[in-house]
Amino acid sequence: MTATLLPAEARAPEPPRASAGRRPGRRRVRYALTVLAFMLPSAIPLTAFVLVPMVSAAWVSLQEWNLLAPPTFVGFDNYAKLLNDPNTGAIFLHTLTYIVGYLPLVYIGGLALALALNTRLRGRSVLRGIYFLPVITSWIVVALVWRWLLNPSTGVVNTVLGWFGVAGPGWWTDPAWAMPSIIIASAWKDLGFVMVILLAGLQSIDPELLDAARVDGAGWWRRLFSVVLPLLSPSTFFVIVISLINGFQVFDQVYAMTGGGPGGATQVVVQQIYDLTFRYGAAGEASALSWLLFAVVLAVTVVQIVGQKRWVTYG
Amino acid sequence: MADLALRRTARMRPTGLAASVVLHLVVILGAIAMFFPFLWTIVTSLTPGAGLTLTPALIPSDPSLEAYWRLFAERPFGRIILNSLGLAVATTLAQLFTSATAAYAFSRLPFRGRGVVFAVYLATMMIPLQVLIVPLFVELKALGLVNTYLGALLPTLASAFGIFLLRQAVHQVPRELDEAATLDGAGHFRIFWQIILPNIRPALATLTVFAFMGSWNSFLWPLVILRAPELQTLPVALAGLQGQYTTQWDIVMAGSVVSVLPMLALYVFAQKYVIQGVANSGIK
Amino acid sequence: MKRLTIAVGIVAVGAIALAGCSAASGEDDGSPVTITYTNFISNGGNEENLQKIVDAFEEENPDIRVEVTTLPYGDYFTALQTDLAAGTQSDVFDIEYANYAEFQANGVLAPITVSDPSVYRQSVLEAYQTDGTQYALPSSFSDVVLYYNKDLFDAAGLEYPSADWTWADEKAAAEALTDESAGVWGDHQPVSFYEYYKALAQNGGEFLNADRTAVAFNTPEGIEAAKWLVEKSGTVMPTIEQGQGTPDFDTNLFKEGKLAMLHTGIWVFGAVADVPFEWDIAVEPGNVRQASAVFSNAVGVSANSKNIEAAGKWAEFLTSSDTMIDVRLDSGWELPPISDEGKLAVYLEKGAPANRQAVFDSLDGIALPPVAQKGQSEMQDIMTEELVEAQAGRKTVEEALASAEERINAVIGG
Repeated sequence: MTATLLPAEARAPEPPRASAGRRPGRRRVRYALTVLAFMLPSAIPLTAFVLVPMVSAAWVSLQEWNLLAPPTFVGFDNYAKLLNDPNTGAIFLHTLTYIVGYLPLVYIGGLALALALNTRLRGRSVLRGIYFLPVITSWIVVALVWRWLLNPSTGVVNTVLGWFGVAGPGWWTDPAWAMPSIIIASAWKDLGFVMVILLAGLQSIDPELLDAARVDGAGWWRRLFSVVLPLLSPSTFFVIVISLINGFQVFDQVYAMTGGGPGGATQVVVQQIYDLTFRYGAAGEASALSWLLFAVVLAVTVVQIVGQKRWVTYG
Repeated sequence: MADLALRRTARMRPTGLAASVVLHLVVILGAIAMFFPFLWTIVTSLTPGAGLTLTPALIPSDPSLEAYWRLFAERPFGRIILNSLGLAVATTLAQLFTSATAAYAFSRLPFRGRGVVFAVYLATMMIPLQVLIVPLFVELKALGLVNTYLGALLPTLASAFGIFLLRQAVHQVPRELDEAATLDGAGHFRIFWQIILPNIRPALATLTVFAFMGSWNSFLWPLVILRAPELQTLPVALAGLQGQYTTQWDIVMAGSVVSVLPMLALYVFAQKYVIQGVANSGIK
Repeated sequence: MKRLTIAVGIVAVGAIALAGCSAASGEDDGSPVTITYTNFISNGGNEENLQKIVDAFEEENPDIRVEVTTLPYGDYFTALQTDLAAGTQSDVFDIEYANYAEFQANGVLAPITVSDPSVYRQSVLEAYQTDGTQYALPSSFSDVVLYYNKDLFDAAGLEYPSADWTWADEKAAAEALTDESAGVWGDHQPVSFYEYYKALAQNGGEFLNADRTAVAFNTPEGIEAAKWLVEKSGTVMPTIEQGQGTPDFDTNLFKEGKLAMLHTGIWVFGAVADVPFEWDIAVEPGNVRQASAVFSNAVGVSANSKNIEAAGKWAEFLTSSDTMIDVRLDSGWELPPISDEGKLAVYLEKGAPANRQAVFDSLDGIALPPVAQKGQSEMQDIMTEELVEAQAGRKTVEEALASAEERINAVIGG
């Protein structure tokens, strides 16, 4: 796993081993101490305040517990119950639908925005600030606005569609269109996030490379695909991994826009986890569900990390 | 800063005048769409006794700062903002430190099991907070840290998000720089401080924004761990503006404006570094 | 003690051994005892009013101090559940009727000895008794009444709603008052669990069976009650597409003078106080009988409190003292659930609406929410979801109720 996870390290210089021949003991200890000095500041808090609660949650997942009375050990009953419940499949499917719709939209939109705002556009710093506004606005406000924009009878979107003779859908009132509504609002809100990450990535691209490509007669698209995107791949990789991890935990926007409706059509995993824990008195089942979620997210992430070798180039 | 301003950055310029006009038009139209909700928030906050209407007005009919006045008069909002600010600043500084050091190790210090450790770090983002709240609370209760700033702060000291972000940035710093410094006799601490950190300033600035934002907007954990009124943070206080049966939207929106502004200011400040920040180390 | 064991268990699993870190420091040295009280009832504007009650209590009981924590209602129960899991709940805390039974059954609440039960309105007090023992004390109540726009009724030449109205009267008036071209609607009633159990009671039906382990609403009365709610939508009430169900939609419509009748709680009095038309309220129409929804908040004493006696004293003072009555009536905070209507007289003369008596008359026919043995919140969620499915026309009323029956039984079944 070590080797496949981090292709970069294969190329990394390895000072301790290279010089191990001469003074193995002290060098080694010193190197180990250096590693510890760099790792411990993050390892201690992450272990104490994330890993420990995670392990506790694993223990809770084996209990029947309503948070009120003492828990009862039930073994893997919670997992069995979840796997036999058709609703589990449904909420995972809704979550997946969200990701499949959201990710391309937010990435392509964010990339276009980053490229546009990286040109010598007049007033681009103001524009960057404006595009960042939705990222920092709370979902309560964003949801209100989007429910209004996407109102089936009076909303701006359907009104405009009407001008072109298109009968707009029922958006968040229609089970088939509720998830697309959430996806559109989410992508809109997160564009600025992707933009910021990619802008930072664009900054580290050497302009000479683009000039060289231009001299070679490469057109705009050609330069985008053969110079910019490969050099932006570490940032892209980051955006995709993070968006997937967060996408599987989509909750706030669903809660604010549809509350899981209509008819449970937008019920997602984390909403169910919250309800099970704090409203339905089933903390054990909630923990089991989050470990199922964990397994899925981990699998997806490992696939990406393994797959990155093919397309991510560093430095 | 003057020398930085001279630096050229790689730009994907649109070709031709027509393309440029279209680009401007699209970007500005988009910006209007982006700005609109915030405008609505401001307008609602300036409309006393505003309810939520189906069609939001874009010009307040009878503008007044009453909502802002009441926001600050009825609750100790000064104190509340200081609480949020203190926690956000502490979190941001801590995460900059813990993320940068870990990122350096993950990129430049090979050790046995490093890949697994990195995967475990990423895994810390994969369990929803909702299910960690109760165990975490029980743990901090055992540590005697319920109702303390420290209790609110501890779980946010390190974040896999920040570590991953910075690791990607460190990976992009050419290794020739390290090697040159090593030949000059520099150790890891010096390389970290003098070579790596200056070269990842855009990423550090980006992390500053997101770490601050994460803390500033965080809700569930502060709600649970900080109960005393004098310890309350902004999002929790703003949630308090929505009642059991009714909500005063003008005050809610005023609170929303107040909470967005510091973030916006920080972003505008930080983006200077994001945009111009690639070190002037003259290597490119 | 058991809770502490669990707490320690959870931490121990994480391999953090914290020997000797228990921070319990008993204070049995004669100094005043401090009790803690966590509430949501004062959140959003009544914090100072609550403090007045606390001050009066501390003056009367110099040996007890009350430390208040106020949380927003929307997140109160998340915080409370976390506290209960960790054993850090306050000595006294707010609850709602809907979660009383679950808390009581799980041993969270201590029995409370009430020195003068006669002060309370009996129907509300009894709601918080289990097997004859008082486990919580009602701190306030609100009920749901029928608001109506007098001007619209006058313009249509119709008689105002009265306490002896039935569904048929309401329906006839609503149809006569609805004028879609003018954007005026006759009636508004949310489509939700809370409205449904009440409509069911008004129609003589029962939501749950006798041992509260299965539903009993899938009957002709139940279907009629569901149709009563659902079929308003799109005929005399706006549809979901038209905005029905979004926050404050109904109140705004009423305030704009575009809604003739509105079923909502008395907490909206303040919001509609300044409208430019005449309005009043009436007891909600019943069908075979009258039944009004009552929302009541209450306080419980924690079973693991070290100062149960002092906590009980505070709970009783908070819910029945004259100071509390004065403060609540003075400030227009929610009504205290007391029996002596003479003390409430001042409330009746507080201005619009004129017929404030309806607030009390509604209490003659209370319909308390059905409380299941377990799965209360999930039951409510499912009921609302299925009713909205019928409202949106994706299911017939019969299908929705059958589906609700099946799903709810699976959740609450013994």
